Amino acid sequence: MFADVATRAYDPAQRKPADGATAADLASRMPRLVARAHEIAASLAYGVHGRKRAGVGETFWQYRPFASGESAHRIDWRRSARGDQLYVREREWEAAHDYFLWMDCSPSMAFGSSLASDDKLSRGVTLGLALADVLVRGGERAAALGLTAPISARDVIDRLARALADNATESTRDELPPQAPIRPRARVILISDFLIDPDALAARLRRFADAGASGAVLMVTDPSEETLPFSGETTFLDTDGGPAFYAGDARSLRAAYARRFEAHRDAVRRAAQRVGFIFLQHRTDRPASEAALALAMGLLGADGVSFEERR
Amino acid sequence: MFSFAAPLALFGLISLPMIYWLLRVTPPRPREIVFPPTKILRELKPDEETPAKTPWWLMALRLALAAALIFAMAGPVWAPSGVVASSAPTLVILDDGWTAAPTWERRLAGAASIIESVARAGGPVAVALASESAAPVPGDGPRAMEKLRSARPKPFLPDRKAIGEQVTAFAHAHKAARIVWISDGVAQGDAAGFVRAVKESGAAGVEIYVENHAPRALAAPTNDAAALSVDVLRIGDDASAVVDALDAKGRTVGRAAVDFGGARRVRAKIELPVELRNEVSHLRIEGENSAGAVALLDARSKVKRVALIGGGGADEAQPLLSPLYYLEKALAPFAQIRTARPGVVDPVQALLAEQPNIMGLADVGLAPGETFDAVSRFVEEGGTLVRFAGPRLANADDGLLPVRLRRNGRVLGGAMSWEEPKALAEFDATSPFFGLPASKDVTVQRQVLAEPDPGLADKTWARLSDGTPLVTAERRGKGLIVLFHVNADANWSNLPISGLFVDMLKRISAMAGESAPASGERSGMVADPSAFAPMRLLDGFGALGAPGLSAQSIPPGFDGPASAEHPPGLYGSGEAFVAVQTLRPTDEISAFDFAGAGLSADILRAGGQLDLRGPLLAFALAAFIADALIVLALAGKLRLRPLGAATAALFCLLCATAMTTGETRAESAPKSAATQRDKDAALTARLAYVISGDAHVDEISRLGLEALTQALNARTSFAPGDPVGVDPAKDELAFYPLLYWPIVASAPQPPAKTVAKVTAYMKQGGTIIFDTRDALSQRVGGAPSPEAQWLRDLTKGLDIPPLEVTPRDHVITKTFYLLDGFVGRYANGETWVEALPPEPKDQAARPVRATDSVSAIVITSNDLASAWAHDKRGQPLFPLTPGGARQREFALRGGINLVMYTLTGNYKSDQVHVRDLLERLGQ
Repeated sequence: MFADVATRAYDPAQRKPADGATAADLASRMPRLVARAHEIAASLAYGVHGRKRAGVGETFWQYRPFASGESAHRIDWRRSARGDQLYVREREWEAAHDYFLWMDCSPSMAFGSSLASDDKLSRGVTLGLALADVLVRGGERAAALGLTAPISARDVIDRLARALADNATESTRDELPPQAPIRPRARVILISDFLIDPDALAARLRRFADAGASGAVLMVTDPSEETLPFSGETTFLDTDGGPAFYAGDARSLRAAYARRFEAHRDAVRRAAQRVGFIFLQHRTDRPASEAALALAMGLLGADGVSFEERR
Repeated sequence: MFSFAAPLALFGLISLPMIYWLLRVTPPRPREIVFPPTKILRELKPDEETPAKTPWWLMALRLALAAALIFAMAGPVWAPSGVVASSAPTLVILDDGWTAAPTWERRLAGAASIIESVARAGGPVAVALASESAAPVPGDGPRAMEKLRSARPKPFLPDRKAIGEQVTAFAHAHKAARIVWISDGVAQGDAAGFVRAVKESGAAGVEIYVENHAPRALAAPTNDAAALSVDVLRIGDDASAVVDALDAKGRTVGRAAVDFGGARRVRAKIELPVELRNEVSHLRIEGENSAGAVALLDARSKVKRVALIGGGGADEAQPLLSPLYYLEKALAPFAQIRTARPGVVDPVQALLAEQPNIMGLADVGLAPGETFDAVSRFVEEGGTLVRFAGPRLANADDGLLPVRLRRNGRVLGGAMSWEEPKALAEFDATSPFFGLPASKDVTVQRQVLAEPDPGLADKTWARLSDGTPLVTAERRGKGLIVLFHVNADANWSNLPISGLFVDMLKRISAMAGESAPASGERSGMVADPSAFAPMRLLDGFGALGAPGLSAQSIPPGFDGPASAEHPPGLYGSGEAFVAVQTLRPTDEISAFDFAGAGLSADILRAGGQLDLRGPLLAFALAAFIADALIVLALAGKLRLRPLGAATAALFCLLCATAMTTGETRAESAPKSAATQRDKDAALTARLAYVISGDAHVDEISRLGLEALTQALNARTSFAPGDPVGVDPAKDELAFYPLLYWPIVASAPQPPAKTVAKVTAYMKQGGTIIFDTRDALSQRVGGAPSPEAQWLRDLTKGLDIPPLEVTPRDHVITKTFYLLDGFVGRYANGETWVEALPPEPKDQAARPVRATDSVSAIVITSNDLASAWAHDKRGQPLFPLTPGGARQREFALRGGINLVMYTLTGNYKSDQVHVRDLLERLGQ
């Protein structure tokens, strides 16, 4: 049977955005992605959190007795006036984490096949923005790695989106996460297809770890990249302009490719887990909310300790 | 054999090796896919190398494609008939006598293929017909084809003398002329002289083609007292033939099969009762559509019933003395004789009761009284009274005589006379006996004499050498009185024992039953008052039709041969007509011996030439498409979903199955659906049409019946439901009062089971309207159209009652509208219904007649549905012939009448009487 999978990507001949499914016109697609990110974030907020609190905006957590040596302005005088003891009003999330999100906008992300509804870039950006919103609602601060400072505003999605769109230029098309300065104890969330050298990735992750960060690695994969559903005489062109690969019959490569791809993914996983990052994988033919939920639970639910990988 | 119009193009085949080399080095381009994990792929070593060159089968396909194109450009022609393509000036001579008529279409096709081959090669070509004497004009192909298409077979055998001269002239005028003679293979018509002329003409090439069919013919039909008989002639090896006797309406009255048994000429006898035999208007060889295979019968060949009464008592002991003896002997070969049984009181009245055509009275005097009145009435009503003189008559003038008689007559050459017995004078041109030899041996000794009244000469048919009338006659009323002035035995004259007597009686017998020609017609013909004008003439195919312009009147006594001026057919007017046969009684037909003349004749095969350009180009196109698909498939670019491909394959398979076996589809249809439809049909009466299998025809049927349904709803109290198409093989027919069945000749005949079902439907009271839709193309008496043949084949299995063309007083013309006939898209076709019982003579003429039940079958050829059909806006869909809104309206009215007829039967014929009764009661 003939190959039956259509792909969307760069026009290989001209190496430029061909049909709107690319990073360069990310700006034009951003409103749609933002809207979907809102949807996903809302579903997570209502569906998963379910925290029995009066409201997300309440900052009160508990009163604790005043310890000597503390600054006097921290005393809550209204509470202390009702008794003899001095109380300090302790606020929730006072020690908010900074989350640095990196959404890969390299050319290889602009690939999608007819097996999935979205290309990897759209999916990655949507997931990242949704997660940022969930984090901010949860009291954390979110930043686009290398692009913005951590933001805790309610319109974090819009601000991150604008930053992404403004910087969707050649300079951002790096396949590795940028070496931007991060704060200690910050969390780093990397969303990419990680079709890169695992060793280079491991080195970069070690730097993050050295800076005191932990976090998650989300590997977004198109289904066709897992299964190689092509047949016949085919020339495969790389997205980053690398040498093309010619196959007499693409079908005959399928099994070997699947093994090789699995090995690559394992390498990425090992690189992530070695430095204490959570490794998650997501296929674009699965619902976006599924990956968002897994990320949110992995990051928020158990505070990044143990996490059941989703295979 | 193959030939090429442009053989030089075949040099293109040299380029094939180059194409081969080019194809080898340019394999198809692979598919390109942008694939991010190409890095990972690159780490793999490909298991399979790509084919470095094009696969051999793809190469073969492409080379075949190129070869097909080159061959197509060379213009190949496949000529199975062996017709050689030549550019020499060609004269195609087409024998167009009636002998060519049975195979006329094939001859035209063969001639057309020859003309095409010459025209394609660029040579001038001319067509000449054997019956023409005009010089053939060579021209291009279309011109010759035009001439060819206008040719029709002639109803006679043309003499080839004139065309032989034209061949000589053509051969002289054109160098290297090529003569192609499409011959009928018959020696008659001076084939030998023609062949000689062709051989001596100096033509470069002579080709002769004959058809694989030897004509048969009928000659010398006679209708005598014993049987209707005719000579059947053959040339070929047909072992037998069937001769049909047909009446004036074209119905087969009788038939006889003859076995040639080695002979070339066999007499066929058709034995029928005299009444039926006299209905026969012509004989025809079954399956032979030519003028030669038709023998016409005229009034002369009708068998007459003759009542003979003698004056004297019959003397059994001495029959030679009885006058009736000679009359009986003379009349017996061609008439049925009735004589009075001995002992009958009034023999005249007794014999008149048997309704004879001719009454012969040998010396019988008629006294005024009942007998005299009966004989007078017989003559007034058209009977022929032939009287012979004798002793009794000589002295009794009773008024039933053409002339007044003188008493006692005269005696010549007797003992008391000096005069010699008188011989006969030549017959006048106005006499019915004109043309008979006035034998000198006939003498008259004694005769009765006529009073020399004014007008005597006009009444005289035969006279003696001195001018005395011997036979006189007079028209009286519709009848005729003939008087022989001599005795019927040999006493007075030896005329009764001469051959002339038989001939004279034969002529009188032929005239019996003819009404007197109107005086105006006679005076209108100034040139020859006794000539017979052409009435209905045969065409080459043996169909009777209106005479053409070239046909001329025949003089009395014309006995052929048939020619362009006098084509075979019926001449005269009214009841008094004479037939000119295609073959004279003594004519023979025989095959021409081509080998003996030093020539060879090839069989002209139908189909002629096949231009192979079309098939080759079609193959090239198909190969091109296949190649494109294969290249796409090899490159993996053909995005056929597996399911889609499977569906397409399945669909193709289903189509093929459905086309090959239509019945499979019908049988596999779910039964429950039919049941639901039957329920609907049972609840609402509706019109139905038979699905013919031709989608176009079925659509017309549906639209036509829809329009008719609308008209019925609007105009009548009958409100039918929507019309449906039914398949007699599958559907239950009992719910439909009327089935409209358009005949499609290409459809397969229904199986016997279906035919039985249709028969049952007709028996149960259903009516089927068969519409052959071919009124424009059919010829009365000619070869049946394919549709008519199809219907004939179908009705062989049906139980069909006798049919007749709808009479004017049939109830079907009066069920709702008063109509003259049933028109459709065409107005010239006849509508056939079950025959009515003969009109009872004793009752007053009724305005309308009907059978007891509804006619189960109505056959028309007028294409009714096309006339009814209109589109949604009410605009008619098809033009009518001759045309007009009035015809459309009448077509619709006819349809309403048909529906009303099937629903109400003979109700309207009763209704007429009720009206009459009411009128009478009102008085």
